[in-house]
Amino acid sequence: MRKYLLKRVFYMILTLFLVATITFFLMKLMPGTPFTNQQKMSAAQIAVVNKQYGLDKPIWQQYLSYMLNAAHGDFGTSFQFSNQSVSYLISSRIGASAQLGIQAIIFGVVLGIIVGSFAAINRNTWIDTLCTVLSIIGKSVPNFVLAVLLQYYIALKLNWLPVAGWNGFNYTILPTIALGVGPLAETARFVRTGMVDVLNSDYIELARAKGMSRFGIVYHHALRNSLTPLVTLIGPYTVALMTGSMVIENIFSIPGIGEQFVKSITTNDYPTIMGVTMLFSAGLVLVILLTDIVYGFIDPRIRLAGNEG
Amino acid sequence: MKLKKVAAAGSVVFLSALALAACGNKSADSSKQVFNFSETGELPGMDLSKATDTISFTNLANTMEGLYRIGKDSKIEPGVAKKTEVSNGGKTYTFYLRKSKWSNGDPVTAKDFVYSWRRTLDPKTASQYSYLFDGVQNANDIIEGKKAPDTLGIKAEGDYKLVVNLEKPIPYFKLLMGFPVFFPQNQKAVDKFGSKYATASDKLYYNGPFKMTGWTGSNLSWKLQKNNSYWDKKNVHLDSVNYQVNKSGNTRYNKYKQGSVDYITLETDQAKNLKNNADYHLMKESTLAYLEFNEQASNPTVKKALSNKKIRQALSMAINRDQYVKTSAFGSQAAPGIVPDGLAVRNGKDFNSNIKGTGVTSDAKEAKKLWKEGLAEIGEKKLTLNLLGDDNDAAKKSGDFMQSNWETTLPGLKVNVQNVPFKTRLARSSSGDFDVVLTLWGDDFADPISTLDLFTSDNSQNDGKWKNSEYDSLIKASKTTDANDPAKRWDDLQKAQKILLEDQAVAPIYQRRTPYLVKSKVKGLIINSVGVTYNFKNVQIK
Amino acid sequence: MAEEKLNLTPQDFEPVSKNEKGDDEKIAAPSLTFLQDAWLRLKKNKGAVVSLFIIIIMLVVAFGSSFFITNAQLVKSAPQYANLPAKIPGIDINGLNGKLKMGGAWVDAYAQNNVPANKYFILGTDYLGRSLAQRIIYGTKISLIVAIVATFFDLAIGVSYGIVSGWKGGRVDNVMQRIIEVISSVPNLVIVVLMLLVFKPGMTSIILALAISSWTTMARMIRAETLSLKTQEYVLAARTLGESPSKIAWKHLVPNLSSIIIIQTMYTIPSAIFFEAFLSFIGIGISAPQTSLGVLLNDGQKNFQFLPYQMWYPAIVLCVLMICFNLLGDGLRDAFDPKTRR
Repeated sequence: MRKYLLKRVFYMILTLFLVATITFFLMKLMPGTPFTNQQKMSAAQIAVVNKQYGLDKPIWQQYLSYMLNAAHGDFGTSFQFSNQSVSYLISSRIGASAQLGIQAIIFGVVLGIIVGSFAAINRNTWIDTLCTVLSIIGKSVPNFVLAVLLQYYIALKLNWLPVAGWNGFNYTILPTIALGVGPLAETARFVRTGMVDVLNSDYIELARAKGMSRFGIVYHHALRNSLTPLVTLIGPYTVALMTGSMVIENIFSIPGIGEQFVKSITTNDYPTIMGVTMLFSAGLVLVILLTDIVYGFIDPRIRLAGNEG
Repeated sequence: MKLKKVAAAGSVVFLSALALAACGNKSADSSKQVFNFSETGELPGMDLSKATDTISFTNLANTMEGLYRIGKDSKIEPGVAKKTEVSNGGKTYTFYLRKSKWSNGDPVTAKDFVYSWRRTLDPKTASQYSYLFDGVQNANDIIEGKKAPDTLGIKAEGDYKLVVNLEKPIPYFKLLMGFPVFFPQNQKAVDKFGSKYATASDKLYYNGPFKMTGWTGSNLSWKLQKNNSYWDKKNVHLDSVNYQVNKSGNTRYNKYKQGSVDYITLETDQAKNLKNNADYHLMKESTLAYLEFNEQASNPTVKKALSNKKIRQALSMAINRDQYVKTSAFGSQAAPGIVPDGLAVRNGKDFNSNIKGTGVTSDAKEAKKLWKEGLAEIGEKKLTLNLLGDDNDAAKKSGDFMQSNWETTLPGLKVNVQNVPFKTRLARSSSGDFDVVLTLWGDDFADPISTLDLFTSDNSQNDGKWKNSEYDSLIKASKTTDANDPAKRWDDLQKAQKILLEDQAVAPIYQRRTPYLVKSKVKGLIINSVGVTYNFKNVQIK
Repeated sequence: MAEEKLNLTPQDFEPVSKNEKGDDEKIAAPSLTFLQDAWLRLKKNKGAVVSLFIIIIMLVVAFGSSFFITNAQLVKSAPQYANLPAKIPGIDINGLNGKLKMGGAWVDAYAQNNVPANKYFILGTDYLGRSLAQRIIYGTKISLIVAIVATFFDLAIGVSYGIVSGWKGGRVDNVMQRIIEVISSVPNLVIVVLMLLVFKPGMTSIILALAISSWTTMARMIRAETLSLKTQEYVLAARTLGESPSKIAWKHLVPNLSSIIIIQTMYTIPSAIFFEAFLSFIGIGISAPQTSLGVLLNDGQKNFQFLPYQMWYPAIVLCVLMICFNLLGDGLRDAFDPKTRR
């Protein structure tokens, strides 16, 4: 186990190193500078800024110092906010995104499990069909369309909730729904399929024959066994939601990292783009590793890949 | 069927959460003097030596106070200076300062101005707006690193007397003093906070009508609260201005309708539908959109074509400006010339009164004719042009519209629209990596020279590399021989604009007027067309 | 339950004569290939069949329109007809009769803008007076092209990569898996953004970015399946008989992998459409004069309060497209893998 972990961590670091290298050199290909008013600046001033951003050194030196700093979590200074370090920017923005992502996951997965098992128990009835249709629709409506509709109808027309902002729990409800519907639909489908499988298996037959209550069967056997594969889904969701919520953050005016990422793209803020890229990659790699480990614990039948020959 | 119950219970809990949330959602008490203001982007920084954008300038101008404050219709109002003497043929300004305080209790003195100006001009600060100091003694040499910052023509004689020496008279010098780059800075704050100076609301001191709170450097909401140590606090009625950043236009309008903001700017299509709304207004702006033609384009055919006057004229005339402002920039007006309308008025006549549509007329028929003649002159049948523009919504619509006009009016022309981020557009413009570029220029101060200076052959912002010796000499005369003679100077500048437009050096498209909604209870909001956009000092909620 | 009385006669116990006995070996139903069998099962799934039809119709309309909707037409604007709502002659339902809800009342936008009586737009117009129906069809085409081309790359790279990795095994497999790990630990969006920054925004960059980032799932699945197929007797037999690996891959592996490939493809297409829409929505997608469903949606949502139809129509088309691909994907999965269907 330990050997396996070490190996995985090594690959993780290798991956991040490669990603950092590739992004660094891609960024160097880009046009654009930290300045908006370069034409009006003197050579002396430009030299100062170049020095400040380390642009005066040869590329390989820039690369070395970038990698060294990045290893310490320092990604330099943002081009768009004066004097703000990228790591500070990220740390002040990550909270909202994380909260929203986690809420959306909980909302989506919990409700998804309920809907999915509900459909499985009543399989081949109209309830099942309804759940299936709803989950397909949920999967097919882009979340940004949903966000616009929710904001207009729930917040503005019905005046139940604030339109946008980030000022407490009220403000998180609509974005959570908009973001959580996709995972909800997917989870529901996943759980339904898994549970139908389980419900048809022999041990359920046996439990039923023993006279166990229907709820007991579902709760003790079916649910547990059909949920294990969900772990593989939840990991990537978490990262995807934290990174993929940029449109939702934009629509609901949430100070999150995704929205910041889009802004840094459209303002050529290369240090921020690189910093956020590294953050996203690190998050994804970590989540994949955690998922594998957790999965190994939950389902001992799954051999850890490292034990293969 | 217990699971059904669980599901039902779950949905009940969820719905009641919704209902509870709905109850808690009451709008703030309207009797309070609070102005909820919706901004479109984050505040990038509060270091006045380094600021480059309108959001920073607006926040600086409302939390800081310079020698003057720009009031209604870009008129100067008293600021820290209570009396000003001009001597030495307009080359020496002596400012007598009133007693006022920084928010940490320190007095605002002449030394703070000296410190601030020197800091801005020091090449180490790398200020991007230091060029505005052009004309102050030794300013240019200091920026270029040839002289030390303390040789700058600004002197503190005691704590409350400030003397500024100019190299040449600057007719609009007092107006400049209302622009944040010329404001004082508290040296204690700069030294104390070091590299964190002005990166959050508690990392600097204020001497203006408001103090900023709750700004962490990149967040989406902050407050400007009444500054009780401000010298003129009796004329400040607001308790606070609550800034909220909403980047989506749709969201802004929804918030306005829900009542959580009192002021929003509108996007083109929203404006079209709200033009009859009682809260609807147009912001006068001195921002002009124009096309620059690259006469030194790397592609020889394009270079040949764009150096041809008839082709430039055809391209300009083919754009239906009236339709343009109706569909793609609603509320704006067709360009009156290259200098914005209403920017400068003399003897009751607008600066643009002598040009009568030269270079800004739209005429599809004439365009076609000139196009054919122009193509014949350069011996081409077809032309492909790249149109460079910003990647925001308005610029994309512009590109869409111009491509449509050009390709349908001018036979043999193919247009590729390239929408790139703002900074990329600037970089490509200045390196000459474009064919035609749509540029938006907002004047820094209310004088035609702010625009006309851009097109002299040695100006670094003359991206199209247009050259005209007569134009150059007229601009030079306005700055040297005729600088102290307003009538002659006016005449020089008017002539220069006419030459520029007759030769179609650029094609002015529209003068921007941003549509906005403001609740009728908000009184006294000053929106200026030049420099700093919003002045909240006299706002009152009634 | 009443017992039935059986009347048995001695004749019932006579053995059947040889002539009368049927052929035990004969299978009554016609022999079916795997694909035919799948098709039969698919046909029973009404949702999937309807989806298939809708998708075919959309494909035909979208690509058939190439002859009618040209670039020249896309750039042509008619500002006098700007922002007109849908008007279908003969139908008098508010919203489809040229009327628009303005300030609570339905107003005839066509009359208001002095549009000639015989001029109408089935789905209304955009802000430059261009027919929304035309733009939606064109946008659908672009979205489909992006999805299909991206999927093609996905197939070409993913399948061959997966087969090679699974077939070779050992060190080669290990290295190839690490490469996949690296690629899949960079979020899609980041790859797209990097591509768009280096190349200019547009269809090519989006397709390239999708091609680079999306094939890893396919490669993983194919590899896993190849690993298990590798040990099957028929592959072993082919190997022993000296068949070359490429021939084995083509003749034995690919047909057996086909169900996975087809199912995975059905899920890749909608996610590619989705992704393109998302990119265009945040403003780094397709550029003018081309348009896509994402661009139309983004334009539409800005006016949602005033001109809701400009968002609804593209949104409906996009959702229908997504639903159809998802249903068809489900149908195909069930058809190819009857175990999951219950």
